[in-house]
Amino acid sequence: MLSRAAILSGQTSRALVVLGSRSTTTSSVNNQAAATDEKQTLPRPVRQEPGKVRHGFIPEEWFQFFYKKTGATGAYTFAFTFSTYLISKEIYVMEHEYYSGLSLLLMWIVEVKKLGPKLATALDKGVDEYESAWNESRVEEKKVLSDQIADEEKAQWSMEGQNLLVQAKRENVALQLEATYRERLISAYSEVKKRLDYQVEKQNIERRIAQKNLVDWVLARVTASITPDQEKQNINRCITDLAALAKA
Amino acid sequence: MAIGDYPADYNPKIHGPYDPARFYGKPDTPFGQVKLGELGSWLARRNKHPSAIIGAVSRAWWRWQHKYVQPKRAGIAPFFHVVFASMGIFYVLNYSKLKHHRNYKYH
Repeated sequence: MLSRAAILSGQTSRALVVLGSRSTTTSSVNNQAAATDEKQTLPRPVRQEPGKVRHGFIPEEWFQFFYKKTGATGAYTFAFTFSTYLISKEIYVMEHEYYSGLSLLLMWIVEVKKLGPKLATALDKGVDEYESAWNESRVEEKKVLSDQIADEEKAQWSMEGQNLLVQAKRENVALQLEATYRERLISAYSEVKKRLDYQVEKQNIERRIAQKNLVDWVLARVTASITPDQEKQNINRCITDLAALAKA
Repeated sequence: MAIGDYPADYNPKIHGPYDPARFYGKPDTPFGQVKLGELGSWLARRNKHPSAIIGAVSRAWWRWQHKYVQPKRAGIAPFFHVVFASMGIFYVLNYSKLKHHRNYKYH
């Protein structure tokens, strides 16, 4: 556990170097590998997960070895019977150190059970902090770059919006042009109509005046053509008519 | 092969980065799969040169390191391994003296 940090830094940096040399084709390592036709046949060494143990330290493989032959309790049966043999024959001698060892074992168990989880969380936290401290600059850089990409995409998107806006402006200008054109058309129409109306009115007036003059002239000529004799006859006629009317 | 050199069979172009827990020579039958009758010939094939024995011990040491000590979240197991292994070793070393603490003369 003491070496966690040291190993961590060494391994991550080595992994980075390996990644770098793999990803670029111009590195000397790859050129050497390309020059010889030999291929890498073995898998690359990677950092392992901690091996599984039972009771704090006995490897799981020991129990698996017994499991195939004598079942799940095989290892415990072996341990019990073998230690019974050693003790009963006094091959294993239970002198005073045995009992001090027992008490030490008891103290260790209590300590591991009580302090172990706390220590493990504290150390794991330290490991995580150390790793994140080393990764921080890389993560930050990635974040900055992805932010830049997002900004660029947003800028492109808003440029598409600008296209729409320009099109809308063009349509607006076209509408304005159309409106002005129609306005001018209507003004031209009304101006022409005014002039034509004027001409019509003028012709009407001229014709009326001419008619009036003609009527006046005809009347004057007719009046002038009536002789006094005719007038007298006319009055007489009128008197007779009146008399006839009075009789009736 | 001088002291501090890589094993003669190790070739970085083929094997990649050096792994001290790995045997780079030609692998023989694993000990767990050896039949009892073939055990003699299997043992006869072993390289008993001191440097080979030291290499085997060193590989075992690194295998143990990689499995229990070097993982990112290693537990208390390697400490107990050291404690119980040293208990056993020192019991064997002191056995000639501990024998005199036997309580029964005849078994």
